Amino acid sequence: MHTSLRKNVLVGIAGLSLAGTAAGCAPGAQVTPAQTTQPAPSGSAAAAAGSYQDGIYSADGNYVSPNGQETVGVQLTLAGGSVSDVVITAHPSNPNTRKFQGEFASGIKAQIVGKQLDEIKVSKVAGSSLTSGGFNQAVEKIKADAK
Amino acid sequence: MPHPGWTDFNFDGIGTRWQISTPSPLPDGHRRRLLDVVAEYDSVWSRFRPDSLVSRAARQPGTYKFPAEAADLGPLYGTLYRLSNGAMTPLIGRSLAQLGYDADYSLRPGGPPLAAPRWEDVLEWDGTVLTTRAPVVIDVGAAGKGQLADLLSAELLAGGISDHFIDASGDLLNAGAAPVEVALEHPYDTSRAIGIVTLGTGALCASAANRRAWGDGLHHVLDGTTGAPVRTIVASWAMAGTAMLADALATALFFVGGARLREEFEFSWLTVYSDGHAEHSADFEGALFS
Repeated sequence: MHTSLRKNVLVGIAGLSLAGTAAGCAPGAQVTPAQTTQPAPSGSAAAAAGSYQDGIYSADGNYVSPNGQETVGVQLTLAGGSVSDVVITAHPSNPNTRKFQGEFASGIKAQIVGKQLDEIKVSKVAGSSLTSGGFNQAVEKIKADAK
Repeated sequence: MPHPGWTDFNFDGIGTRWQISTPSPLPDGHRRRLLDVVAEYDSVWSRFRPDSLVSRAARQPGTYKFPAEAADLGPLYGTLYRLSNGAMTPLIGRSLAQLGYDADYSLRPGGPPLAAPRWEDVLEWDGTVLTTRAPVVIDVGAAGKGQLADLLSAELLAGGISDHFIDASGDLLNAGAAPVEVALEHPYDTSRAIGIVTLGTGALCASAANRRAWGDGLHHVLDGTTGAPVRTIVASWAMAGTAMLADALATALFFVGGARLREEFEFSWLTVYSDGHAEHSADFEGALFS
């Protein structure tokens, strides 16, 4: 049950994983078998995958946070230019993961699960700072430069 | 609009898009006064404007008299600076500019991360009077958008418009009588939500590493002790009585645990980590999809 919850989440974040993983093309150091295969979501993730080769990509993401080193293993399956499966492994040895798992006695833990906004009846979305047109244009320019 | 039949007043201000919703259309006079509040705030606090008060302080150390809102920002930043051991600081402006988040939105790092100067070394914040001992770049971006929402709400109240809803591009203030169902934007996919909360009277603000992300691992939530971005937490939400508080605490959650912040502030919190798991206060129970 835990795994299936996680997988739902990870399908949701496929857009980001794709960019990081495919760009890195790191060897598959971290291989975690997938429990089930889910169809790829349509939309941004699939669209972004258009120019990438099919296959299974794996990479470890390393982050130096103020609390220390964090490593996350990502395995991504691309089929027909779409993300067909994503597995993310939080390495239990790293201090932040231990912290997530053990120390927040007063907090409540859950795995996030994404749903399409179209499926949800709300009139407002609380999210991160949207920015002005000028900023977004600059971001698009950088993305174009980076290709 | 948060309720059927309400009307929206949309405008740009302090670098973001605003939507103010009211049961009936705002008269022109009200709209002008709201835009004046925005312009006034921008002319004081925008570090992107060479003629702003903070830009003047950045060029020349000295004693500067700020408007009334400074008296609310100072103690709030002071407490969060202490709780985060200096990581959350209003002196982060130069660190942000160094990483490319500058007046020209160059989005290109100007060098390695630059730590913010220590507050106690360079700045005295006494109510509305700020005295600087060095040319420091003050940036109240972590609380400023929320505070401006509060100021706009106060302006509406003063004008007799008690029922209103302010959406500052995802930071929300509900001053209406009816609660509003709000989706929590997925940190990595803006077409998705990870849950729904009911916002009664009060504010719900978010902070995340996604939208203002640029370059290699660079985003706008910086640790003032190192000048480098925080990477472990990807998104946070805070619900509080004022938008200034909710806005500031949403950022503070990147540096300080929600439970610790609750010892000093009355608010609800939700934090999402880069491995896809979330932690939250009891008030967010049942909000996340499962």
